Amino acid sequence: MSEKLQSVKNSLKRPRKKSRLPLIVGASITLVMVIIGVISMFWIPQDVNVSDPSIRMLPIGTPHHLFGTDFLGRDVTSMLMTGVRTSVIIGASAAFLSLFIGTLFGMLAASISKLDEPIMRTADIFMAMPGIIFALVLASTIGAGYVTTIFALTSFFTPAFVRVTRASSMRVLSEDYISVARLYGRSRLFITIRHVLPNVSSILIVQFTIYFAAGVLSEAGLSFLGVGINRPSVSLGMMLHEAVEQIGITDPLGVWPGLGIVILVIGLNLLGDGLRDYFDPRFSQRVR
Amino acid sequence: MDNFALKVEDLVVYLDDLIAVRGVSFVINKGERWGLVGESGAGKSLTALAIMGLLQDGWKTSGAVLHDGMNLLQASDKTLSARRGRTMSMVFQDPTTALNPVAKVGKQITWILRHHMHVTQKDAYEQSLVLLNKMNLPRPESIMDSYPHQLSGGQRQRIMIAMALACYPELIIADEPTTALDVTVQKQVLRLLDAAVTERNCGLLLITHDLPVIAAMCENVAVMYGGRIVETGKISDVFTNPRHPYTKGLLASQPTLDNIDLDGGTRLPSIRGSVPPLYAMPDGCAFAERCDFATQKCKELPELDNQIQQVACWNPVAEARKGA
Amino acid sequence: MGRFILRRLAFFAITLLTTSVLIFTLIRAAGGNVAAILLGKNSSAEEIHKLSTELGLERPLPVQYFEWMGNFLHGNLGQAFRSKQLASHLIWSQAPVSVPLSLGGLILAIIIAIPLGTFAAKNFNRPSGAFVAVLSQIGIAVPVFWAGLLLSLVFGVHLHLLPTGGWVPWSENFVGALRSLALPVFTLGIVMASTLTRYTRTAILDVMNEDFVRTARASGMSRRVALIKVGLRNASLPLVTVLGLLAAEMVGGTVIIEKVYSLPGISRMILDNVTAREVVVVQSTVMVIVVYVMTINLIIDLAYGLLDPRIRVGK
Repeated sequence: MSEKLQSVKNSLKRPRKKSRLPLIVGASITLVMVIIGVISMFWIPQDVNVSDPSIRMLPIGTPHHLFGTDFLGRDVTSMLMTGVRTSVIIGASAAFLSLFIGTLFGMLAASISKLDEPIMRTADIFMAMPGIIFALVLASTIGAGYVTTIFALTSFFTPAFVRVTRASSMRVLSEDYISVARLYGRSRLFITIRHVLPNVSSILIVQFTIYFAAGVLSEAGLSFLGVGINRPSVSLGMMLHEAVEQIGITDPLGVWPGLGIVILVIGLNLLGDGLRDYFDPRFSQRVR
Repeated sequence: MDNFALKVEDLVVYLDDLIAVRGVSFVINKGERWGLVGESGAGKSLTALAIMGLLQDGWKTSGAVLHDGMNLLQASDKTLSARRGRTMSMVFQDPTTALNPVAKVGKQITWILRHHMHVTQKDAYEQSLVLLNKMNLPRPESIMDSYPHQLSGGQRQRIMIAMALACYPELIIADEPTTALDVTVQKQVLRLLDAAVTERNCGLLLITHDLPVIAAMCENVAVMYGGRIVETGKISDVFTNPRHPYTKGLLASQPTLDNIDLDGGTRLPSIRGSVPPLYAMPDGCAFAERCDFATQKCKELPELDNQIQQVACWNPVAEARKGA
Repeated sequence: MGRFILRRLAFFAITLLTTSVLIFTLIRAAGGNVAAILLGKNSSAEEIHKLSTELGLERPLPVQYFEWMGNFLHGNLGQAFRSKQLASHLIWSQAPVSVPLSLGGLILAIIIAIPLGTFAAKNFNRPSGAFVAVLSQIGIAVPVFWAGLLLSLVFGVHLHLLPTGGWVPWSENFVGALRSLALPVFTLGIVMASTLTRYTRTAILDVMNEDFVRTARASGMSRRVALIKVGLRNASLPLVTVLGLLAAEMVGGTVIIEKVYSLPGISRMILDNVTAREVVVVQSTVMVIVVYVMTINLIIDLAYGLLDPRIRVGK
């Protein structure tokens, strides 16, 4: 055996395994946030709308009020838990509805060429609109709240799903085995459900987590403006809105909701990145 | 001055714990056309990229690549980039993706001339026209003014060759230069490469899995399998009297008019099994698993012998037949 | 290129038309009885009817739409019901705040993100590159208003360097106006830069793996030169598309940041007028914003055409 080969063999290092850390950290953060949200549906320390002027602005770490109380003496811990629930529900609903509608239209555009142009141009139009302005108008005319916010976010997330679904479906549909399936007499519906859907599902799952995060951010923004979630509901963005309006920016009350949003969004984004690496090793393959 | 254009000594190319090229040595003299054949995954392209210093991030090398009076494997990217395109150049497989899509062809060719030969833009332009003319490209002025997407694959590959020849390199590496082209265009491109070697007395390393191409172009050939050269020698010897069972199998599985039975019935012979993946490469002869003549001895790694037609096999074809 | 420009212009026109119908329907259909809201709770049905007729709100919606759109195209954006102020005047008075803020943020984002993303791509397997990647990851997760709050806390409240909010008109004090825009622009810039840095890094990493970069290096370009001469130019193509998406994000960011720093910009104007049910003013204002975003998008599209010879010259 050649000397060089032998010396190389002796010096070989095991490859560093592609880290699963983002996936694990992201999934854990998301899971914890979802659990907090679920718990808040059944139990919170105190009603979020009951104020008690005698215990206004209690500091952090007060017994029975772990995160203190706000300017009306309402329990911050309860509000944070409820706020996380709102973020998760709105982010997930908007992302899920967009996923559902977007996949449907994306696949229609990919498999029926007559529908391709109209669907894609409509998507382009929606994509070019400044979503927040519409949400603003919508919220002020038909009233703010869960449904309005989810509706507004869905309208502006869906085009992205349409595009991604169409592009990846087209790629699948141009494969040889699809032509074979066609020659074999398989129907469009069969091909779509049997061949296209499984092949694009991983991309769509990643897209879902990304837009889940975007939904959380957008909801927070709208609620901060005062046109998203309002009392008696509670959201993290709304808590910041109240904190800024009532006591100024210097108070720690403005820190916790913001931190909550950041953690949830980082968790979701890490989960998305981790899932992408997990589903498609080509992105991080050692031998390209 | 060396009279070889390239000398590779015991080249090993690896990534983490995967060894793709496992100790390859050969010499290409000036004016020599040297062929490297093998299936995909045999390590041909990695050998070429290692010589040029263009391996992807993470790949490491060991051994020596001597060219232009230095060991390229130990040179910095800066030293290497002064050689690339100047004393050694490379033609890649797929001309559709090998040219910068947003720069005009003229800009891409003249850049090389101006960068390496320090000529003026005007001279570079003139020389480029001459080069394109030599490549049998009609209306070179309009080609210089075109973007790659406006040209055909054959035109683009001829431009690639023009770029490779621009600075009169001592060594040209052509990695599957005709695989992506139509059969008719293939011949023209090969002729251009052939003429360039004759005219400039440079060394040519032609990499392909296409045996007839090698047979038509090269004086010497090396057959690669599992990251090693298993047989090397003169074309006439290797292709008429293969000593390695793999070479023999490779030659037998070539479709020629002689062995195609137009009436049907006979099948083209093939080598059973497939190339072992890098992570499962055996310590001994890599071909043993697919070889009809494999013995216990093949668990050890055979080295190239000292004959004129070198072979790395414990049971070369002639002897094996005797024993059988 | 000619066909390409025509296509983009046609799309521009169609989008504006569709959007205008959407805006109109949304605001009118969902807005409730405008006259009733204008008159307040204690008004009689008769009064409401009278005001509605006066304002032309009793006519069929399509008629109202075409009247509004026709006027809009002639540069007449309508006027407020109560104050009789011209919508164009109202919008014009907000522009000195909102336009510098939004464009400044976008430009700052580009100035920060392109070098930073290039650096991260160049050093993708080193700790410094990974650090930038993590930084942009965190930046993406920070809501723009929270970033604004934190920045004004640090630079305004603690360091007393810049005002934490409020507005000094340009005509009154040029430097003062600049100072009151500094933090808002900075906030918007770094938040958008996070997204753009990430896209830049990915685009360059993708391009550097292309065959033509290998060819460029095979013909004598060093790693660095190939990155600058070939990589950046090609990576700019996907990035230009991303800029189009950022333009929409820019408007959203501007609206929120104006709120954070209590700037008298376009968002406050829309909110005030929506609450007051000044439907014509709202319609026209939203329409102007859409035209603004679409124009930026159109310019970006045309720039893309100029950058990519495959679109510019065709076969």
